[in-house]
Amino acid sequence: CHQELLEPNPESLLTTANFFNSAKDMDQAVLGVYSRMQARKPGDYLLLEVPTDNLYLSSNTSVAGAPELDVLAPTSANPLLNNFWISNYNIIFRANSVLNNIDKPTDYKAAQKDQFIGEAKFMRALTYFDLVRVFGGVPKVTVPLTRIDESRQVPRNSEEEIYNLIIEDLKDAIDKLPVQTSIARGRASKAAAVALLGKVYVYRKDWPNAKTYLEQLFRDFNYSLVPNFANLWKLTTEDNSEVIFALKYVEGTNGHGLSTDFIPNAGAPGVVDRGAEVALPSWSLHKKYEEGDTRKAATITEMWRAPNRPNDPLVWLPFVSKYAVPHTYGASGLDLPVLRLADMILLYAETLYELNQPDQALAQLNKVRERAFGDAAHNYSLADIPNRDAFIDKLLLERQLEFAYENERWFDLMRTSRYTTVMTAEERIYNNTTKTPLVVSLAPKAFHKYLPIPLPQIDQAAPNVLAQNEGY
Amino acid sequence: ATASTSSSVAAARAAVRLVDWEITGKVVSERGEALPGVTVLLKGGSVGATTDANGNFALRVPETAGTLIFSYIGSVTKEVSFSGAGAINVTLSDDAKALQEVVVVGYGTMKKSSVTAAVAKIENKILDQVPAGRPETALVGRLAGVNIAQTRSTPGAAPLIRIRGAGSIDAGNDPLVVIDGFPGGSLGQINMNDVESIEVLKDASSAAIYGSRAAGGVIIVTTKKGQTGKPKLNFNTYYGVSKPMLHDDWVTGEEYYNYVVKYQNREFAWAGGDPSIPVWGDPRRPAQYQVNPIIKEEPQTIWQDEVLQRAPIQSYNFSVSGGTDAVKYYVSATHNGEEGIVKTASYKFYGVRANVDVKVNKIINMGFLLNPSYAKRRDAGSLMVSLVKYPPFVAPRNPDGTYPKARDYWGQNVTSQANPNGILNGTFNTSSALNNVGEAYLSLELLKGLNFRTSVGTNISSGSSDYFQASFATNSGSTSGSASDYRTINLLNENTLNYNRTFKDIHEVSGLLGASYQQSTSRSTSLAAVPGSFNNDIIHTLNNAIINPAGTSSYREGWGLVSYFSRLHYAFKEKYLLSGSLRADGSSRFAPDNKWGYFPSASVGWRVSQEGFMQDIPAVSELKLRGSYGATGNFNIGNFSYLGGITSVNYSPNNVFAKGMAQTSFGNDKLKWEKTNSYDFGVELGLFQNRINMVLDFYDKTTTDQLYNVAIPAITGFTGTLSNIGEIRNKGVELELNTKNLTGDFKWSTFFNVSRNRNEVVSLGGLQERTVTDTYGMSWLLRVGEPMFSYYGYRTIGVLQNAEEVKNSPVLAGSKPGNPKYQDVNGDNKIDPQDRVILGNFQPKLFLGMSNDFAWKNFDLNITMQASLGAKMYTFENQSYQGNVLGAMRRSLVETQWWSPAEPGDGKMPAAALSQLNFQGASDIYIENASFLSVRNLNLGYTLPVGIAEKFRMNSLRVYTSINNLLMVTDKNFHGYNPEGYTAGEIGGVNSMPGYNANGSEPINRVFTVGLNVSF
Repeated sequence: CHQELLEPNPESLLTTANFFNSAKDMDQAVLGVYSRMQARKPGDYLLLEVPTDNLYLSSNTSVAGAPELDVLAPTSANPLLNNFWISNYNIIFRANSVLNNIDKPTDYKAAQKDQFIGEAKFMRALTYFDLVRVFGGVPKVTVPLTRIDESRQVPRNSEEEIYNLIIEDLKDAIDKLPVQTSIARGRASKAAAVALLGKVYVYRKDWPNAKTYLEQLFRDFNYSLVPNFANLWKLTTEDNSEVIFALKYVEGTNGHGLSTDFIPNAGAPGVVDRGAEVALPSWSLHKKYEEGDTRKAATITEMWRAPNRPNDPLVWLPFVSKYAVPHTYGASGLDLPVLRLADMILLYAETLYELNQPDQALAQLNKVRERAFGDAAHNYSLADIPNRDAFIDKLLLERQLEFAYENERWFDLMRTSRYTTVMTAEERIYNNTTKTPLVVSLAPKAFHKYLPIPLPQIDQAAPNVLAQNEGY
Repeated sequence: ATASTSSSVAAARAAVRLVDWEITGKVVSERGEALPGVTVLLKGGSVGATTDANGNFALRVPETAGTLIFSYIGSVTKEVSFSGAGAINVTLSDDAKALQEVVVVGYGTMKKSSVTAAVAKIENKILDQVPAGRPETALVGRLAGVNIAQTRSTPGAAPLIRIRGAGSIDAGNDPLVVIDGFPGGSLGQINMNDVESIEVLKDASSAAIYGSRAAGGVIIVTTKKGQTGKPKLNFNTYYGVSKPMLHDDWVTGEEYYNYVVKYQNREFAWAGGDPSIPVWGDPRRPAQYQVNPIIKEEPQTIWQDEVLQRAPIQSYNFSVSGGTDAVKYYVSATHNGEEGIVKTASYKFYGVRANVDVKVNKIINMGFLLNPSYAKRRDAGSLMVSLVKYPPFVAPRNPDGTYPKARDYWGQNVTSQANPNGILNGTFNTSSALNNVGEAYLSLELLKGLNFRTSVGTNISSGSSDYFQASFATNSGSTSGSASDYRTINLLNENTLNYNRTFKDIHEVSGLLGASYQQSTSRSTSLAAVPGSFNNDIIHTLNNAIINPAGTSSYREGWGLVSYFSRLHYAFKEKYLLSGSLRADGSSRFAPDNKWGYFPSASVGWRVSQEGFMQDIPAVSELKLRGSYGATGNFNIGNFSYLGGITSVNYSPNNVFAKGMAQTSFGNDKLKWEKTNSYDFGVELGLFQNRINMVLDFYDKTTTDQLYNVAIPAITGFTGTLSNIGEIRNKGVELELNTKNLTGDFKWSTFFNVSRNRNEVVSLGGLQERTVTDTYGMSWLLRVGEPMFSYYGYRTIGVLQNAEEVKNSPVLAGSKPGNPKYQDVNGDNKIDPQDRVILGNFQPKLFLGMSNDFAWKNFDLNITMQASLGAKMYTFENQSYQGNVLGAMRRSLVETQWWSPAEPGDGKMPAAALSQLNFQGASDIYIENASFLSVRNLNLGYTLPVGIAEKFRMNSLRVYTSINNLLMVTDKNFHGYNPEGYTAGEIGGVNSMPGYNANGSEPINRVFTVGLNVSF
């Protein structure tokens, strides 16, 4: 009687005691890693686009923590930073759990175990890459921490140590991951690991290694730019020759809120009947799209009318429409690319320039430009890049136009040290009648290169274990 | 009164056949007070009666000389013989032996005089005639140390009960409810009409017998039983109307327009624009900063008045009871119903209660009870804020029956929300619950004073919830829906051996041994529709939609509890009292090595008034000193919490929905009982033959090994895990004063109580503090030495008036003119989290209750008052009425604001714009004083004189009228609808935000009722 009453069977609860026993369990555990990244990704723009000259917050909405970032006033109490930290270490925990238990099942099919290791390491590397770029060195955790008192004693590792882990993980992932044709879309393939490692080396300014891996990507895998930029952002063509790794969503059942976040409050015809209108495109970016650049229409829609008032005249109300596919409010099915070929091409251009091959670099840069304009008429010539600064300016501009709202701008400004000069003022709202922008003055600080370690995390750690970044 | 009674009795006699003798009379105490409720029985017969409120009785006996037995609790039973019809007036003398009032304690009863613990008792005299959806409401203000807060005014909503403060962070602080011996019930399952009495075990020495679940105190409900005598039929009903207490400072028309202009100009200036540009039709002003003059035109709807209503409340209860020496029964049926003051909300309750007790022979007693009930409710489609902050320029409804939206009047700049009437009428949020409590018992009197009782009980509950939202009720214009069901079966077997003897009139001994086995199993299912997938708004069930796999599941779980307990009580000469108990509980909820917990208690009492030397002080009729210690536990955590749980999570490789798995709780294989050790010292004093009674208690209780979801570094992959860390202490004093102020023809008695509780965090397991922070920055602090969950944020010292001041003051990063100016507490010339200070706490410092009873002739009047002092509320709701999304505004919240350097407001209220919440949420701006004084109930009744009632063949009849919340006085700067109305819950885990009124609690209702109570 005692046993029946005191030891009921947890009928509906899987536990650490009875999970991780089969290859199927491990497969589901790997999906769990993607799931968490998939939940984080749509909100990244609050941290990585709002504080740049691409985006400003609408006064119709309020997202806690975002207004401070919009005026370049990050503090350690910012809830967005804390959430980012928590999400990322949760992804890392799930990846570590996979790696920690990988030897338990005995029923793997051929190469399956390697694939799971590769996926977990790829996701861990990707996550640390985001962490190290936002915060600098962070605690390096590679096994599940099971003791709380020990977890309070884990200090930050150096940036170098984190990058070493990333590189080590990615090299192993390259060895173990299958090619895209052997694995479902939305899961990491060998090419994704190669591409990410190339990108990591660019951030390390390790140009020879960057060149090696980027060239391996172009050589060994069959990716190509889609001819029409707009097709990257359509539900019907979201699986295409350019996307190397994307997080996949299904409308309604497993959707994201990013498509809704940029839509005006009253919705947009053919997209959604109501938007969240969190943020709107800054004129600083908007004005840079030249006549003929197909990316403009695929990124920003200028004229608007409410979906329920089809007879109203269109009014000037620019909003970000890159993710504006028809969707259910807050549950869009559009995939969010994490790594795509255009990024690799521009990183390669940068690498080549730094390796003293400006003409080769220009050729790569122009590939992206040509796709954007549909012809070579807007290509740059060597005369346009008389010196390194000029090249970096052109490159940054191209990256801003190409990857607007894909969370590259903040990192690009930081790694090229352009942040403190570019961000002193932001043109936000543009009055299309008077042809004047409203300008907001800002005070960017060099120490913003690393955002502050979240205060709650410093408080959780034992005293003086988790050091704050300089300037905060 | 006597004269009129006699004549009416004579008239009644004339009307009936004279085969019986009619005997009438009045029973009084030795002090001459009329005694109501005295049992009058014909010796050796089955005829009986009970005296009415004025002590009068009337009964008809066969035409044979006989004897009447008059018995009354606390008095010596008296026999009076008669030999014909006529009047018999009787004086009952007090039972000199003791005050024989009996109180129910765990697994038994005890003479009140022998009790050595802090136990409060409330008898249901007219409480069932106080209109209230649930029994708790009728108890407000009537118990010292028990704070009953009506946090939500929705139909059928359960109030929050805290006995002597909250001691647990994560495992719940609700008291254990024991209904007729069945632990773990809900007060929502019973009806006040069926309640005989309610006892509250406040200290741990009394509650320890319930060991594991009693840390929040114990509420014991005893229901009515049949009495020997002829069948008694009772009917009680009331009908009334609830009227919400509203705000009266909404701005409309020109005034509203002017504030919208100010709001838009302020935003425009912040964005770098020139606010002197005309607000409408000037192309130099971007569309989002314009103001359409249409908004000052009709209809100027005040949405508060539109969505709220006067709502009916009603109750009907029938009961039949009676019995013989061998069989006693009580059967009742109840229906309660109320509609919400928020339109469309409603609550209906139907219940039946039956119990039968059979005395088989001198040794065997057995019986059973059944209590099925059904409750059905519909909740309003939204909390208050979304309903009442809608802009005034929108009509309640279009002539064609559709619901206009704000955007239909003025494009993009105003809220995209659906029309509040549309939300209410298009949201179907219904649920129902079916409960059945049943018990059968067998009891054997083995020896004189030795009794064995065994029982099997069940509490079976099942319920379902359905949700449907029509397309017109949402701003997205798409439908949504879900459905869920649950079933819980709770089985209980209890076995007790009770011994109760008095030896040589001086040694009173009672003992208890018991074993109890309880098991609960439950099953739940839920289904959800893919958003927008309903084919139409007509069919609300999910067969009309596509099922969403991500929202669909079924779940089974259970728990078990094994308990052994004992208690010993000894009294010497009714003077020296000694009690002790021990309970051992084993629970399935803890880790294998920590399943068992032990809960001892001990208490002593000294009835000083029984001592010889006290006999010289006749003024003191009772003086008792008592002291106690006891330990109680808490196991109210989820099932299997000690295991690291793996749950399913979503992903969609190849665009195919798939379930992945991930560990979502940390697990703790050391998890054990949370324990509360408490001490109580009490004085009970009765003066002038108990005309003045006073009970004073001091208590000190400490909850250790908190089952507390302690925050942990996120690098573990988790933000918290349940562990046994921390210590919370509640210390307090409570005083009850009962006085019979006037005892003549005009009677007046007063019950007054006052309680003070001081809550303190003693330890957080080595850490000094923990905070939980809301999205807009307000923090709730757990800090050693401070009360739990104090508000923690910045103290405002004004408003930043202009750019100059922003530049020259220490400010929160990113501040601009109009944002609050904060105190730089540490003087480091910047405002950062180090400058946060404690801004108050949601717990009242002092709460008081007072109940006055007046009686004159056949009229009676009760006035019950309640006051709460020192609580603070975070009324973040206010910002919704300050211009946010250009919705409805309240004058008191907009006229004080900073609008521009030229219109700086009162210098205290900053620029409260939606876009600025981050700069002011974490401050005292929305911390308001939630103290209040209220007249919770006024009840005026008239009882028909016995003779007249008799004429209509009634035993008694009382008609009454009642007003709930006759008066509510709050601080003049308090802006909420309800000073107890926080919407984010109370303490329920380490991430709690108690006292947070984010979305608007429903207004308090003033309820006017008339009622009738008649018995035959």
